[in-house]
Amino acid sequence: MAEQHTASDCKQRASQGAGGSVSGNGRPNTAAGCGGGGGGLSGGLTQPAGWQSLLSFTILFLAWLAGFSSRLFAVIRFESIIHEFDPWFNYRSTHHLSTNGFYEFLNWFDERAWYPLGRIVGGTVYPGLMVTAGLIHYLLNLLNVTVHIRDVCVFLAPIFSGLTAISTFLLTRELWNQGAGLLAACFIAIVPGYISRSVAGSFDNEGIAIFALQFTYYLWVKSVKTGSVFWTIGCCLSYFYMVSAWGGYVFIINLIPLHVFVLLLMQRYSRRLYIAYSTFYIVGLVLSMQIPFVGFQPIRTSEHMAAAGVFALLQAYAFLQYLKDRLTKQEFQTLFFLGVSLAAGVVFLTVIYLTYTGETAATMATQHHSLAQHMPSLYFSPLPLINPIKPVILNLDTERLFDPVLSAFAVYFAGVMVRLMLTLTPVVCMLSAIAFSSVFEHYLGDDMKRENPPAEDSSDEDDKRNSGNLYDKAGKVRKHVSEQDRPEEGLGPNIKSIVTMLMLMLLMMFAVHCTWVTSNAYSSPSVVLASYNHDGSRNILDDFREAYYWLRQNTDEHARVMSWWDYGYQIAGMANRTTLVDNNTWNNSHIALVGKAMSSNESAAYEIMKSLDVDYVLIIFGGVIGYSGDDINKFLWMVRIAEGEHPKDIRESDYFTPQGEFRVDKAGSPTLLNCLMYKMSYYRFGEMQLDFRTPPGFDRTRNAEIGNKDIRLKHLEEAFTSEHWLVRIYRVKKQENRQALDHKLRNVAAKQKYTSKKVCISCLIIVVIFKYRFFFFFSIGYQMFMQ
Amino acid sequence: MSPTLRFCPCLLLAVSWLLRAAAADGLVNEEVKRTVDLSTHLAKISAEILLANQGGSPVQSFTLALEPELGPHLAYVGASVKGEEEEDESLELKETAVHGRSGTFFQVQLPSALAAGGKLRVKVETVLTHVLRPFPSHITQAERQLVVFQGNHYLYSPYPTRSQSTRVRLASKTVESYTKLGNPSKNDEVIEYGPFKDVAPFSQDTMKIHYENNAPFLTISSITRTIEVSHWGNIAVEETIDLRHTGAYLKGPFSRYDYQRQSDSGISSVKSFKTILPASAQDVYYRDEIGNISTSHLQVLEDSVEVEVRPRFPLFGGWKTHYIIGYNLPSYEYLYTLGDQYALKMRLIDHVYDDQVIDHMTVKVILPEGARNVHLDTPYVIDRSPDQLHYTYLDTFGRPVLVATKNNLVEQHIQDMVVHYTFNKILMLQEPLLVVGAFYILFFTVIIYVRLDFSITKDPAAEVRMKVASITEQVLTLVNKRLGLYRQMDEVVNRYKQSRDTGALNSGRKTLEAEHRTLTNDIAALQARLKAEGSDLAEKVGEIQKLDGQVKELVNQSCQESERLVAGKVKKETYITSEKTLAGKRQELISRIDSLLDAL
Repeated sequence: MAEQHTASDCKQRASQGAGGSVSGNGRPNTAAGCGGGGGGLSGGLTQPAGWQSLLSFTILFLAWLAGFSSRLFAVIRFESIIHEFDPWFNYRSTHHLSTNGFYEFLNWFDERAWYPLGRIVGGTVYPGLMVTAGLIHYLLNLLNVTVHIRDVCVFLAPIFSGLTAISTFLLTRELWNQGAGLLAACFIAIVPGYISRSVAGSFDNEGIAIFALQFTYYLWVKSVKTGSVFWTIGCCLSYFYMVSAWGGYVFIINLIPLHVFVLLLMQRYSRRLYIAYSTFYIVGLVLSMQIPFVGFQPIRTSEHMAAAGVFALLQAYAFLQYLKDRLTKQEFQTLFFLGVSLAAGVVFLTVIYLTYTGETAATMATQHHSLAQHMPSLYFSPLPLINPIKPVILNLDTERLFDPVLSAFAVYFAGVMVRLMLTLTPVVCMLSAIAFSSVFEHYLGDDMKRENPPAEDSSDEDDKRNSGNLYDKAGKVRKHVSEQDRPEEGLGPNIKSIVTMLMLMLLMMFAVHCTWVTSNAYSSPSVVLASYNHDGSRNILDDFREAYYWLRQNTDEHARVMSWWDYGYQIAGMANRTTLVDNNTWNNSHIALVGKAMSSNESAAYEIMKSLDVDYVLIIFGGVIGYSGDDINKFLWMVRIAEGEHPKDIRESDYFTPQGEFRVDKAGSPTLLNCLMYKMSYYRFGEMQLDFRTPPGFDRTRNAEIGNKDIRLKHLEEAFTSEHWLVRIYRVKKQENRQALDHKLRNVAAKQKYTSKKVCISCLIIVVIFKYRFFFFFSIGYQMFMQ
Repeated sequence: MSPTLRFCPCLLLAVSWLLRAAAADGLVNEEVKRTVDLSTHLAKISAEILLANQGGSPVQSFTLALEPELGPHLAYVGASVKGEEEEDESLELKETAVHGRSGTFFQVQLPSALAAGGKLRVKVETVLTHVLRPFPSHITQAERQLVVFQGNHYLYSPYPTRSQSTRVRLASKTVESYTKLGNPSKNDEVIEYGPFKDVAPFSQDTMKIHYENNAPFLTISSITRTIEVSHWGNIAVEETIDLRHTGAYLKGPFSRYDYQRQSDSGISSVKSFKTILPASAQDVYYRDEIGNISTSHLQVLEDSVEVEVRPRFPLFGGWKTHYIIGYNLPSYEYLYTLGDQYALKMRLIDHVYDDQVIDHMTVKVILPEGARNVHLDTPYVIDRSPDQLHYTYLDTFGRPVLVATKNNLVEQHIQDMVVHYTFNKILMLQEPLLVVGAFYILFFTVIIYVRLDFSITKDPAAEVRMKVASITEQVLTLVNKRLGLYRQMDEVVNRYKQSRDTGALNSGRKTLEAEHRTLTNDIAALQARLKAEGSDLAEKVGEIQKLDGQVKELVNQSCQESERLVAGKVKKETYITSEKTLAGKRQELISRIDSLLDAL
């Protein structure tokens, strides 16, 4: 609740402050009230930029604070712990980095994952996150601040959310004005779409990547505006950071060329643009290739071709511009230009088309389909609230064009894949901030000011003064403001106050909504579960950690644990044991093999497990407490993936009833009722009576009495089951000494000197019959049947 | 054990001579009552010995002996004189050797010499660890744990024993077998041996008892206790504990179902135990590598804080776990000071669970940065490792860390240690000053950065622009002030109209004139500067000046009008109309000035 207040407080203050600073008249005109206009203006000028920068600083600081604290729900309710699945891997690699050093991390071959294949971690991760956290930890330790690497990891994303807010502020200020920037900073600080990936403990790439994204945009806009190599190099470094942090850098390397392309189409070519893009493309390309995981992709794969195409186009365009000065044949030249640009445009569009509608989107979407299960649905996003008031901005300024391009692109991406909603979030925040800012400009403006037509917008005045370099923005903005001001001159104070109140209400509701969503949807570590009793007291179900810690403490250090890939990272991170498959789902056939083991019957599964050297099998079973994300509910995925690789052995239809239902009770298909996963989940569950209303063996998750209550395991034995049965671990029994039979036979054969040949031959026959008994009986039966 | 003894041959010689003298002195164990308590996973052997000096000379000390098989398991041995009024006086022990005999020996110094023919009742307490061997060594979850104890029927002593009885207390009634020397009597959980008469010195006879013992066989395989002293009022204690169930290994599966449904399933397993912390312990935490262990409970009692420590999972035989428990203590309860002298009096090792066994202990005491002349007083001999340095928040040259280790400890070792050191109180200011200094430097850097120009290229146009901007700013303030003057004048005129005080009006007019003149001059000066900078704004300022002159005219006019009104020379209506036109004109001029100002 406290966070909620803070958040809404900050929001209100921010919005008021923003409104004030936009109109440039929010402060009371006291001393200099000269019976007319210009009071506010001169008041602002007597204290050069002082109070305004103080106010901006305060608002940004509060936004940072609100963003940080609203991400702490999980830490306050539970503890400082790494959440979910992927963060555990990131944490583990960061830990490795901080204990063994950077080069050791880059060359890290993790033999504890993907047994027996292993994983080259250094070459298959975006190291930005780990390096950032490791660096912070290193610096703090240099200063003798003894903070654990885990705490650095847990609080990294909330801290970076503040940086994101600041870079969003900078970007929006570049695109619009200071007031909109402050609003955007406040929005991005608490918007749920971003919080969902950056709560404390969610130590994931996106947490820092959104900052890098926004900052790269800002520097790009800055470099296009100034045409200075300095800003462009800054932009490249920021881009490099983004590449090192997240695969979403592709978003930037397509968006910036698109911006350039649109500018070219609109005949807005300038030398500044040429300098900015040429520098960015070359330096950015070289830098991005320094990341081992990216390698030569930027010059090979189709996602990066758009950038190359635009680069070529820009060079051609620049060359033509150069020729234009030299040559005189105007008609020929324009024709030439048209032809070239048309061709290049066609090429560019085809590349884009191929890239996004074809392969990339499809592959990405399929790869992450089952990941989407873990995420709360994104209906909570702020879009419905903000979209209706998104203004139609048709102010086609060079840098402002960036905004519509960005938003169109982001919307398209988000449409392709829900997960990329994340990249849309900052855009939405910026647009809505601009909308709010201009609405406030209309309705919160001072009456005094409107009596005389405002000559200059104060924020532009500030820009001019602060940055020192004068670009041609001020004039245009002035026009813009006066255009807007004119039509509503007749508005009465009532309408103004009503609209203002409505806007403020909206903002307040937004803050409340954000806090509510954050606290309810995104603030569960999912490693620790909590349930509430009727009297409000809380029960913590700590089964995951119980079982993982048992594995860590009481199994052999090199024990191999088989589980579905969802739990791979957690097992590696918390139990520190070797896993077969994990969340880095790079090898589908290996996953399919595990899926096949889980969905086969016990003896077939035993063969697979033997061949994979499995020592323990870990499954998640929610039937006792009614946890719905357990392995039986995920089971069909295992079957499907196994079927994809082994269609002869596993068929999905076998696991359904003739009516096409997936049931675990008596009516369920016998294949299901005898497969390894079913047996392991329900082993000895049939004896368990949870309460008096239900029969023994009643599965609370699926609300059914299980169909196979007499489960006996031959090759496995229960090694550990957590308190609420959520995690069950089985030990694969070591092979019994059955090979002895063969050795004995060899002995018998050696003794043949002393025995008659008949005995020997009969022995052999028996052995042969024994070995091929299935074929034997089968052939006998077959013959009988034929007769 | 004691290094001083080991490396001092002459002393050793003296001691062995003394020993021989003692043996020759003819000490006799007149009557011995032994109690062997095997009800936990420890073997606690206590013996009440009535020592008699049958020699000719008084005896200063006597020797305690322990069987060679049990020697390595010895955790604690203590002797005390059984006083008359129930007050036991504990005696000083020194490890020695007895020539030609194997075993562990201690020389016990008597409080006062035992005269010839005198008798003394001595109580000897011995605690042995890891002497109960689980047999069978592997059991299933449903089975009960059986252990074997191998000891001595007799008191192992360098002196002859006249009469002796041994009483063995077991953990349960179920006994598989026991040695039957002297036809012992068994009653529920107690087996009584003896009395044995006239036992020779150093006599041994194996006592073997195989019985059921489901007591928690918990062992702390290693504990690191870190005590961090802060002079700001806090002592932080953190214990990192490796715990192991050293009973019979669990064989076969662990069934949670049986464990939950049947009360006697896994009866020898450990579900939880209680740790007693000091009464003032605060902010207790209990965690491990992967986070909080949420299964614990804390109870604050009057004289202690009780933590119910429940490992994440029940500990079966052979299973182990690892955890960290920590808390804060107020330093006023443990830290004593006299001037620059400090003394920290704390428990060297604290309670973890009842009947605890610690295989290996490391104690680290982190003293404040700048502590000198550190001296550690321990209640028993402990191995000191070289001191270390520890760096934490705001440290510059590190805090001294005392490190000490000891093996094989039990509950009897929970005793106080004292760390003496000196600390200059001025050093307390070091850390706050450090912070202040850091902020000072930060702000100073920012100030310098903001105030000075660090650009490598000079942009004359920008400089001129900035200069012009600052001048314009001044112009604006001055013009505004001047406009403010007119309003003041208006007020003066209004007042004059009511009070008809000509003097006030004149003085007001005078001040207006004077101030107006200075302001106008200032503005003119600024205008000249603007012109010098080559800015076209100078013209605009000139225009403002011109307009202002007109405004001034108007103000003067309205002033005269009012005078005439007051003098009755003008009618009220005409005055009002003329005032209105004047005001209108003025307004127009002012708005023109404003628009000019805006354009600046």
